[in-house]
Amino acid sequence: MKKRVKLTFPQERIKEPVIFKMAKKYDIMPNIRRARVTEDFGEMILELEGTEANLEKGIKSLKAKGVEVELVEGDVLE
Amino acid sequence: MGHVLGLKCRECGREYEVAPIYVCEFCFGPLEVAYDYPKIKKVLTRKKIESRPMSLWRYKELLPIDGEPQVGLSSGYTPLVKAGKLARQLGMKELYIKDDTVVHPTLSFKDRVVAVALTKAKEFGFDTVACASTGNLAHSVAAHGARAGFNRFIFIPSTLEKSKIIASLVYNPNLIAVDGSYDDVNRLCSEIANKYNWAFVNINIRPFYAEGSKTQGYEIVEQLGWKAPDNVVVPCASGSLLTKIWKSLLELQKIGLLGDVRTKVFAAQAEGCGPIAEAIKNDTDVIRPVKPDTVAKSLAIGNPADGVYAYQAVKESGGGGEDVTDQEIIDAMKLLAETEGIFAETAGGVTLAAMIKLIEQGKINKDESTVICITGNGLKTQEALLGHLDEEHHIEPKFSAFEKVLKKIEKK
Repeated sequence: MKKRVKLTFPQERIKEPVIFKMAKKYDIMPNIRRARVTEDFGEMILELEGTEANLEKGIKSLKAKGVEVELVEGDVLE
Repeated sequence: MGHVLGLKCRECGREYEVAPIYVCEFCFGPLEVAYDYPKIKKVLTRKKIESRPMSLWRYKELLPIDGEPQVGLSSGYTPLVKAGKLARQLGMKELYIKDDTVVHPTLSFKDRVVAVALTKAKEFGFDTVACASTGNLAHSVAAHGARAGFNRFIFIPSTLEKSKIIASLVYNPNLIAVDGSYDDVNRLCSEIANKYNWAFVNINIRPFYAEGSKTQGYEIVEQLGWKAPDNVVVPCASGSLLTKIWKSLLELQKIGLLGDVRTKVFAAQAEGCGPIAEAIKNDTDVIRPVKPDTVAKSLAIGNPADGVYAYQAVKESGGGGEDVTDQEIIDAMKLLAETEGIFAETAGGVTLAAMIKLIEQGKINKDESTVICITGNGLKTQEALLGHLDEEHHIEPKFSAFEKVLKKIEKK
């Protein structure tokens, strides 16, 4: 299963390899499409591929580290 | 024949053929419709537009359809009300209200975007349309879709107010009430849109759907005698309406129907859900998602898809943004109704209240012409005013009782 997500990293997590750790632990393949880092935040748009259960765990682990995880298409509930 | 060249990624510029797709396969940026403006310039004149029926389709060359309009033939071309009384009260010279409280058939500007989305869905050959909504969009897809003969799937959070559910159910769509948070509904609908071959109006049809918003801008210009206002104040949820109003002005300029555009565009949001206004005020193009907590439910989009593009449009135009409290929203709704006789939904209160703040800050000049976009009817969200209005006068069915209360009223 593939998921397109937008991640926003708080300043204190920018230097940490959080994506690598999550990918390794939950057997998820990340494919980065866009990214930028400014003085006080990091933003990354990527595709994550893995089993549904692992993707759920992986995303949960990112959120637990303070990384904001959003849908690439934004909120669709209007 | 239409005048669409194709779809183009707003981020990397990659081009795609017209199809029900919405993100760039390469950078995941949003896709936008690209037009053949030189060709449109040759065929579209003010006279031609003015000769057509008064609906949003009078600008059909600037909309992303190939054939003739098929849905929402009576939608759009709402009044541009010169708000003399309200202007005087606020010390303004020239104030107009673009009154989308009266769009046909479901009384919000969503009837514009859905008319375009469902016409495109017909052209693509879909038999089922869908959306996820907390109100206005659901009503419009349910109503337009019924008349156009589509199967309809409408997803709502199960906690939605009964009045909003009824205003969808009456059109007999398949209404799916999802038990979960707003985030859960967002996630689920994205998954469903990717799996089923449906026209999900604001997901896979989004590039076409969003173009319908431009008609509000075209109408403002035409109704002002083919002039753009000095300022326009637009409520922001996803930010799409603001970006499309800005696009509409630039397009009219490009095809020679409007002179130089000097309009400043302003974003209006609620304090309890103001990620776009916050970015504008902080002068950053980083839109930080928020958890909405506001009485303005129709603007409660915490992760706005077009937030960054709304920010860019505001900056490009030299405009600004402001957010307002729930109390300011309610007060502005009452002011609009008391002065101009227009009962707007809470989003209308947001727009007017934000304009008042921007005037106080000197960001909108009182001597310039200003248009505020009022996007939905207050009859749909009456509960927002509960406890905020004067009570009615109860009397016995006696003449003396009436005279007694009349004296009390006259003393006020």
